[in-house]
Amino acid sequence: MNKLLLLTTAIVALGLGPATVTLAQDKAIVIGTDVDAGTLDPRLTRDTTAYRAADLIYAGLVHLTSKLEAVPDLAESWESPDPQTYIFKLRPDLKFSDGSPLTADDVVYTYESVINPDFNAPDRALYSPISAIEAVDPQTVKFTLSAPYAPLLSYLDKGIVSKAAVEAGKDPATDPIGAGPMVLSAWNRGSDIVLKANPSYWGGAPEVTDVTVKIIGDNSARAQAFEAGDLDVIQSPLSPNDIARLKADDRFGNVITAGLGVTYINYNTKDPVLADPGMRQAFSMLIDQNSIVNDIYQGVDEIASSIILPSSWAYSPDIKQPTFSVEGAVAKFNELGWKDSDGDGILDKDGKKLTVTLSTHSEDPNRVQSVELTQALMQSAGVDAQVQITDWPSFSTNYVQKGLHQIALLGWLNIVDPDRLLFGQLSTGGSTNWGGYSNPEVDKLLQEGRSSLDQAARAKAYQAAATILASDLPYFIISDQGYQLFYKKPFPVEVQATPRGNFRGLIGMDE
Amino acid sequence: MLAYVIRRLLLLIPMAVGMIVVTFGLLLLVPGDPAAVLLGPEASPEMIANLRRTLGLDDPWYVRLGAYFWQLLHGDLGRSIFQSAPVSEIIGGRIGATIELAVVALLLATLIGVTLGVLAAVRQGSLIDTVTMLLAQLGVSMPVYWLGLLLMLGFAVQLNWLPAIGRGAPMLDAIVAALSGRPQVLWDSILHILLPALALAANSAAIISRLVRTSMLEVLREDFVRTAYAKGLRRPRVVVRHALRNALLPVLSVIGLRFGALLGGAVLVEMIFAWPGLGQLTFSAVSQRDLPLIQGIVLTFALIFALVNLVVDLLYALVDPRVRLG
Repeated sequence: MNKLLLLTTAIVALGLGPATVTLAQDKAIVIGTDVDAGTLDPRLTRDTTAYRAADLIYAGLVHLTSKLEAVPDLAESWESPDPQTYIFKLRPDLKFSDGSPLTADDVVYTYESVINPDFNAPDRALYSPISAIEAVDPQTVKFTLSAPYAPLLSYLDKGIVSKAAVEAGKDPATDPIGAGPMVLSAWNRGSDIVLKANPSYWGGAPEVTDVTVKIIGDNSARAQAFEAGDLDVIQSPLSPNDIARLKADDRFGNVITAGLGVTYINYNTKDPVLADPGMRQAFSMLIDQNSIVNDIYQGVDEIASSIILPSSWAYSPDIKQPTFSVEGAVAKFNELGWKDSDGDGILDKDGKKLTVTLSTHSEDPNRVQSVELTQALMQSAGVDAQVQITDWPSFSTNYVQKGLHQIALLGWLNIVDPDRLLFGQLSTGGSTNWGGYSNPEVDKLLQEGRSSLDQAARAKAYQAAATILASDLPYFIISDQGYQLFYKKPFPVEVQATPRGNFRGLIGMDE
Repeated sequence: MLAYVIRRLLLLIPMAVGMIVVTFGLLLLVPGDPAAVLLGPEASPEMIANLRRTLGLDDPWYVRLGAYFWQLLHGDLGRSIFQSAPVSEIIGGRIGATIELAVVALLLATLIGVTLGVLAAVRQGSLIDTVTMLLAQLGVSMPVYWLGLLLMLGFAVQLNWLPAIGRGAPMLDAIVAALSGRPQVLWDSILHILLPALALAANSAAIISRLVRTSMLEVLREDFVRTAYAKGLRRPRVVVRHALRNALLPVLSVIGLRFGALLGGAVLVEMIFAWPGLGQLTFSAVSQRDLPLIQGIVLTFALIFALVNLVVDLLYALVDPRVRLG
């Protein structure tokens, strides 16, 4: 008995000792993130961690700055002799981290595999206008397009893999050889990714010599680990409560940038109740953007007014979607013939009650709350609104992507060019046009937007399309996502946040 | 005895087959297409169809199930859809962390549970008894997830005594390192495991303490205890030597069963404390619909659970001579 007590006391006492202090290495940082990378092959990346780690291990022809401008990375320069041809000149003496030379053949190999349907690259659609890639000489690569395609340059930051290494049996997914600023030193699945500076990067080794990416799935646990000093950097996704607390703590620095994502309502325009744009306008007036953005998301995001991101060169403040007004919505419903004829508090027309199902996925509690708030507001306006919440795979692949939804709340990320949020999503028959929207005028403008190489002409086309979309409303954009980054002070280098959350701005590389 | 062990081990085969069929059936029913999840929202239907073909997801269910058993017969658990690595390799790399966490949690739970249970029984009706049973009530009702975050907030964020996340060196390696003159490695591993193990252990400790208390109260009223006192033995000796040994019998089988609960609880605890074990892997595999990986994990958990139960049954026979196996 006494022994037992002694042992218990010993165990408790053990816990009371000081925690081990990790030896501070010069210019080493630990970044907390939410998911493990699925792969380190830059052609197959699909989650944020894979994308960010690959951005350090590999380098692309171009690099996208925090303002989303394409600047030279492996390519020293490029030209476009006609709208369907791009010629890239590589820097001299480029080397992979294993010391082997990087030539035009590696570029051709990388992009040929990306556009090969059997390779199953997740973002192959972005490169589909490429009809041929050839190595003119070891330092020159030529891209030929089937049609003029303005957004291409924004997508050519994809990391170049070593053809020789892959052909020799090295799998870039687990054993990556790249020409980026860092090299993989260890990858403990589900736990951490350890990277070291690459002295053979064309721009020289970065200032930060060691980066550890620690995977902590739970947002609050990650924030607590940051507060406890186990992490040097955390960034979105973060829970709004944690953001408020961390902001008030002067041990930490905070950077907020406009992100590249939107949270939006996807209306199924094929649904009988929602086919009329007037109905979509009325429902949109029942979405309280102010409460969602400021109360549920605690002001991390910005209230959106149109489908074009405010940070984009195509943005115009004059384009406006409907704004929140329960009275306005009810008036609109009445105008369209929906009235409460039997006095049961629910609007009806031709003997049918006005019933809709709102849906979202369960992983993001803020989205669930937003849907529940909207449900309450719709009920107050006389709409019999139901809510359906399922996990992401069921919600996305078995429901929205099959066009089975009515009103769904979800998001888009990585909108580096307006084309990325419009062409596939809202042109007739587009690959991700789950709501079945079709408007020949919009189709024409979206085609114009992607094929013109003149940015002013593109902006005009996208603004014209956005104006139509703000009243047609196949999408109602609730918010433009903000991007939060917290870092421990003092930080070894000047912190530069990028809207995509990439790490190059954290290792002392000038964005 | 040996025949009994062999029979029990052979029984694992139909159990494993049953587990696989049930898991497979459940996964068929759960909506969500791994090919679509893998390719992300920007993929076109053709791309998804193409990948489904490549992954063999278009084959009828009996073909896929048959193919899976065929693989298993060759000792192959298949390849993870998302991690581009063999399932056996992925599980092998993580199983140690989970077993380590569950074993330490079980030891903690037993230690705390038995100590509190004995204290409460010996001082029945006293303040100690009330406080102990209040703690047990809390332990039973507090969700492991919430307790984990609270412990982290208290001991790592506020007091900064213990690391908030991660794992030190594997415990066995750490012990070897300590024996070869580097005790700080073991110390680091112990500090890392304390919070997750405590969070995981709380529920089991509470259940064990209640059980020990009840069982002790019964035993303490037995004639042989009175006889022991009558012989003039002192109380601690009576309690530990005579009463506790008998009271522990029903507890032993519960401890074995708790191991299964601990493996289940590990899924949440590992998520919170970034403990690189099977629990964390389970969560990501399920949310990605990584079918081969889910199958592999379920099979592994089932086998561990079955083996632990076998060991407990054998121990039971060793501790209690009245129990005959066969």
